[in-house]
Amino acid sequence: MSDVSGSWTLPPLVYHPERPERREGWVDRLEATVTAWPVVVRARLGDPRVARLVASVNALEDQHLNMDEHALQTSTEALRVRLRRDGFSLDAVAEAFALVREVSRRTLGLRHYDVQLAGGYAMLNGMVAEMDTGEGKTLTATLTAATAALAGTPVHVVTVNDYLAKRDAENMGPLYKALGLTVGTIVHGLQPPQRQAAYGCDITYTSNKEIAFDYLRDRIALGNQPSSLARKLKRVQGSRQGEGTVMRGLKFAIVDEADSVLVDEARTPLIISRETPPDREQQWAETSLDLVKQLEIDRDYKILRTERRVELTRAGRDRLAGLGDELGGIWRSSVRREESARQALTALHLFQKGDHYLVQDDKVQIVDEYSGRIMADRSWSEGLHQLVEAKEGCTVTGQKVPMARITYQRFFRRYQRLAGMTGTAREVSRELWAVYRLPATRIATNRPTQRRHMRTRILKSAELKWQAIAERAAELSAGGHAVLIGTRSVVASETLSELLTDAGLEHEVLNAAQDKHEAEIIAKAGELGRITVATNMAGRGVDIPVDERVLEKDGLHVILSERHDASRIDRQLAGRCGRHGEPGAVQAMLSLEDPLLELIYPFIIRWTSALPRYCRNPVALFVFWRAQRRAERAHSSARRALLKQDQKLGDLLAFSGGLE
Amino acid sequence: MEKSLFSPNWYRAQDARPCLRSHARIHRHHYRGQLWYVLQDRTSGRFLRFTPAAYLVISLMNGQRTVQEIWDLSCERLGDDVLTQDEMISLLAQLHQSDVLRGDGIPDLAESSERARREGRRKKIMGLINPLAVRIPLLDPDRFLAATMPAIRPLMSWVGALIFVAVVASAAVLAGLNWPRLTNNIADRVLAAESILLLLLTYPFVKAIHELGHGYVLKRLGGEVHEMGLMFLVFLPVPYVDASDTAALRHKWQRALVGAAGILVEAFLASLALFVWLNAEEGMVRAIAFNVMLIGGVSTLLFNGNPLLRFDGYYVFSDLIEAPNLGSRSNRYLGYLIQRHLFGVEHPEPPATAPGEARWLIFYSIASFCYRIFIMTVIISVVATKFFVIGVVLALWAIVLMLGVPLGKQLRFLFTSPVLRRNRRRALGVTSGIIASVVMLVMLVPLPYSTVTEGVVWTPDESTVFAGAAGVVNELIAQPNAYVAAGEPLIRLQDDFLDARVKVLEAQAAELRLRYAARDTFDPAEAKMVQERLQLAEADLDLTLERQRDLLVHSETDGRFVVPRAADLPGRFVRQGEVLSFVSKQEDSVVRVVVPEDQADVVRNRVRSVELKFQNRVTMTVSAEINREIPALSNTLPSLALSTLGGGEIVLDPTDTNQVRTISRLLHLELKPASTEHLPAMGSRVYVRFTHGAEPLALRLYRGIRQVFLRRFNV
Repeated sequence: MSDVSGSWTLPPLVYHPERPERREGWVDRLEATVTAWPVVVRARLGDPRVARLVASVNALEDQHLNMDEHALQTSTEALRVRLRRDGFSLDAVAEAFALVREVSRRTLGLRHYDVQLAGGYAMLNGMVAEMDTGEGKTLTATLTAATAALAGTPVHVVTVNDYLAKRDAENMGPLYKALGLTVGTIVHGLQPPQRQAAYGCDITYTSNKEIAFDYLRDRIALGNQPSSLARKLKRVQGSRQGEGTVMRGLKFAIVDEADSVLVDEARTPLIISRETPPDREQQWAETSLDLVKQLEIDRDYKILRTERRVELTRAGRDRLAGLGDELGGIWRSSVRREESARQALTALHLFQKGDHYLVQDDKVQIVDEYSGRIMADRSWSEGLHQLVEAKEGCTVTGQKVPMARITYQRFFRRYQRLAGMTGTAREVSRELWAVYRLPATRIATNRPTQRRHMRTRILKSAELKWQAIAERAAELSAGGHAVLIGTRSVVASETLSELLTDAGLEHEVLNAAQDKHEAEIIAKAGELGRITVATNMAGRGVDIPVDERVLEKDGLHVILSERHDASRIDRQLAGRCGRHGEPGAVQAMLSLEDPLLELIYPFIIRWTSALPRYCRNPVALFVFWRAQRRAERAHSSARRALLKQDQKLGDLLAFSGGLE
Repeated sequence: MEKSLFSPNWYRAQDARPCLRSHARIHRHHYRGQLWYVLQDRTSGRFLRFTPAAYLVISLMNGQRTVQEIWDLSCERLGDDVLTQDEMISLLAQLHQSDVLRGDGIPDLAESSERARREGRRKKIMGLINPLAVRIPLLDPDRFLAATMPAIRPLMSWVGALIFVAVVASAAVLAGLNWPRLTNNIADRVLAAESILLLLLTYPFVKAIHELGHGYVLKRLGGEVHEMGLMFLVFLPVPYVDASDTAALRHKWQRALVGAAGILVEAFLASLALFVWLNAEEGMVRAIAFNVMLIGGVSTLLFNGNPLLRFDGYYVFSDLIEAPNLGSRSNRYLGYLIQRHLFGVEHPEPPATAPGEARWLIFYSIASFCYRIFIMTVIISVVATKFFVIGVVLALWAIVLMLGVPLGKQLRFLFTSPVLRRNRRRALGVTSGIIASVVMLVMLVPLPYSTVTEGVVWTPDESTVFAGAAGVVNELIAQPNAYVAAGEPLIRLQDDFLDARVKVLEAQAAELRLRYAARDTFDPAEAKMVQERLQLAEADLDLTLERQRDLLVHSETDGRFVVPRAADLPGRFVRQGEVLSFVSKQEDSVVRVVVPEDQADVVRNRVRSVELKFQNRVTMTVSAEINREIPALSNTLPSLALSTLGGGEIVLDPTDTNQVRTISRLLHLELKPASTEHLPAMGSRVYVRFTHGAEPLALRLYRGIRQVFLRRFNV
């Protein structure tokens, strides 16, 4: 217990608190790698204090049960002071949790289970709580968020999209309100004053994208110098810099679907940019395309598909020099001319409609290869977007010149305290430790799971696979199940949709092209006999309500049409069924032509394919496992490389204050 | 890589308004006909070299223009030489890292102090990695140099130069005349303990004057010297001055002169020392003079003046050929060539090279590597002979630093460098191909193969001189090492007991003879008895007399009378049959050789020729042939001289109390030398080389492995 002299000293007020970027040397990296093992093991063994906490909370339960509203309020006020003064001591936390549980019971009608208490405590201690899908992570987060907020820490609850942010904030709002805490929600389209107000709340629900962009915008407004001193000096100079910021700094974040945000999307660059004049860009893009249309493939340039780049040959350069001389202007400079030509060739040959972009309403829309979603308001850099627009005959827009940029990886490392929850963390627990210093701990399930895993079917060709999936869906749907079919790409979902239509099966498709009806489709996906085809975006945080009649017939049936790059994503999709201890079934139906197997030598696939039926399946399963491992490793090393590269870039740009 | 004009990071740089700090100075230099700008940071003593294009960009930095404006301006002016945005950023970063850039914003103190801390740590780590080259700055000699300049200045003139040339030239002539006296037995003289001590004491003084030489010359040419301190070269404190201001000097001859100043000073000192050495009496002064010459001569030639090591000579050399930063650039250039021609990287980053520089770079890279290895090997082997442990530690350190670290870096490059992204297979292929062909060459090309072992000079059995009877050696009648004829007496033994016994027996015989003479004729039986006893006594006497005669040892053959330990022999008791000495006919001498079991097979079956080398005449070889071979392996030695106890190499079985059995079994051979003229004395150890012709290493390795398996696992 702290003594009186220190008890009323509040934490120092820090302007825009955030963790300073640590420059990691090889010693730090070595340390992170070495300590990862013991940390992972320890976190797995669980915290011995949890049992004590749960016991104390349960002990306090009866006491709280009998309190009237006024008494509860009084004890909340007392608790606030205590938390602020003592920090997160076990007793104080137990009291806070008991209080939150009771208030939740009264306002939401939901009482936190003991395992949720454990999860909440882990998060309060800056860990990632791995809780099985459907264990009520949203409710768990209220324990942590409310406790931290009562202690005076601004809390950000970060979800994967606006829908979830809004839903969670709305659902949990009454609980917080009853505790005297304010809740704000940030969704796309809010104006800065509204954002400022939302961030000013005790607890802010937001999507990862929104919060990172807000942070970036603030950094621009602050002129990259978030220090209090710098801001004051600027003010003395009469500059109005630093006004119009919306955030209060990065104090504490609870990241929902932590593995998705912190690992899968770690590399996603978030860029704020401004636009250049479109007419100039149009002229440039058209000239560039005209120029390269006069070049011949293989003679003047080579296309390196594996590396996704184009290389000009000597002949091509000479030819360009001749053409450029006639044009004059910037085309006389060899560096600029060749740069433009390469970009134009890339746009022409390496970017395919359907795969990399869609054309909608005279606009080129980028399709995210990872999620299959349309990335609205995204564009390629260095004129590539304009060239693609010119190629497709759309109106050429201005070029977006970056003004600030960050990756999730760098952004979340800046939180002073970070916590997370997810259904699938164990595969990436070492990376979470090495990068974010987040230990991942496993929280037991409240009720034993009733999910059945059926035998994986592996077919020889993609065609056979889709056929088999369609047949299986028809069979299940007729048998009174609800079927959810997960696909990896938009194209795949459309292929399947066509097959189902041909077979006369009624179904819904949830992919990038139609994500406006997302909530509606999800709400109906659990109905009797319904077939839903979804790209893996439907895999996270979505709670599909399953019809009573379907539950009687072993629940929602999930068919995985492909393995993903990470087994976690497969597990997430599987986690759509059998939630809250309900029954459910999962089956994977794969083919030896799946794109994942491109990571394996083709001859191995041929051999596997040539094997007799009875031993093909186990061998093919092993091959899939290998491919998945390989993909996971490749992603993981790419993330590590990015971190290192960012650090180097930071050193390089030190003269201008480093990276954002 | 093809250059991309734009950089995704440009937005971070474009709004800065950089300008150079006032302490940065820029000098215009020509290297190999190309114009370069050298930026000098006068606070840190660092230098950066820029192309004219980069210089233009720097010159546009005035604190008013933004980076974007500077770049736009430079695009207009430079045409095809334009710096890409990435290059602009690197340039700015480089300037920033060197602390010569001042931005318009509030300086990020945390960042710069962090950078300083990192730099300090890097220096410390360098000191740890290379503990033999730690620098401790002590004082700022600038004022001292300025104050003493008037005294030194006259020397740095044409008159001074003439005096210098005269002194050094005359010293060179004198050294030539006295060369044998100077170099006679030099290794022993230098490595004697008191000499080393004196050398250690003299060295820092000579080097201090040397360093002051650098300082004065630099000061004379307009530079400044602000740091002097101690450096520990192989634990030996050596003064140094920081003459980095040299790089600001415009003419290459000036820069070279500063670099060479130390060498010149040492040459001058060595010349003066020679005069002293020639004229002084034997004693301390002369010894010091000798050491000064040694330092001025040997260390300059091998180390300091040698351009292949990074000392003064290197800087002089690189200034003269106008190739700054020769060492690291030569290695990079070699790497570039390998990438381009062996690995097939299409557009490797070419290190900036001026015309005509390539040859120098290639030559320097290879030569300096070989020389460094050579010098290190020499140093280590010299040290290891005196202090084994230090030698081993040094060797390990050198292997790690000179081979291990570069090798590791190369491997890392091969496996992880993005430059090789497209050519990694080829690069790995070429590398493993080269390694494989070297290994093939070494393993499969027949190389001379021989076995070297030890033997002793031996004489065939018949000319061994045995003691005919037991007795005490009385005298050597023949002179040791004299030639004796057959039948000549060699050694006289004495046995007092034998003499007494002769007397007794003689008396006995006489008595019996008398008794026989006085025999009772009537008792023939008794007469017969006395006769019998007389015969017995006479036979006894004869035998004893013969044994007495045997006490005089005769030579059985002609030859040289060889007595090992001749002085010890008189007065020694010897048993009958003991080897006393030898009479050796030189032409009869053989060499008995033992061959360890491992080598027995090849020596027995595949000997092309046999050569002998003698310990006292290392340069001479005598051919020999195998005379006799004892068909079985045995655990005995022909002479203890071959055992480790006697200075040989064969280990004796320590459990054997007689100390004659060896641990491993040996093949015994007897060799007959072609000529016995220079054969050392009986019992001397000789080295024997059995030549087996040529055989590839692979076969030898195979045989060795076979033997190991046979011994350990019986397979």
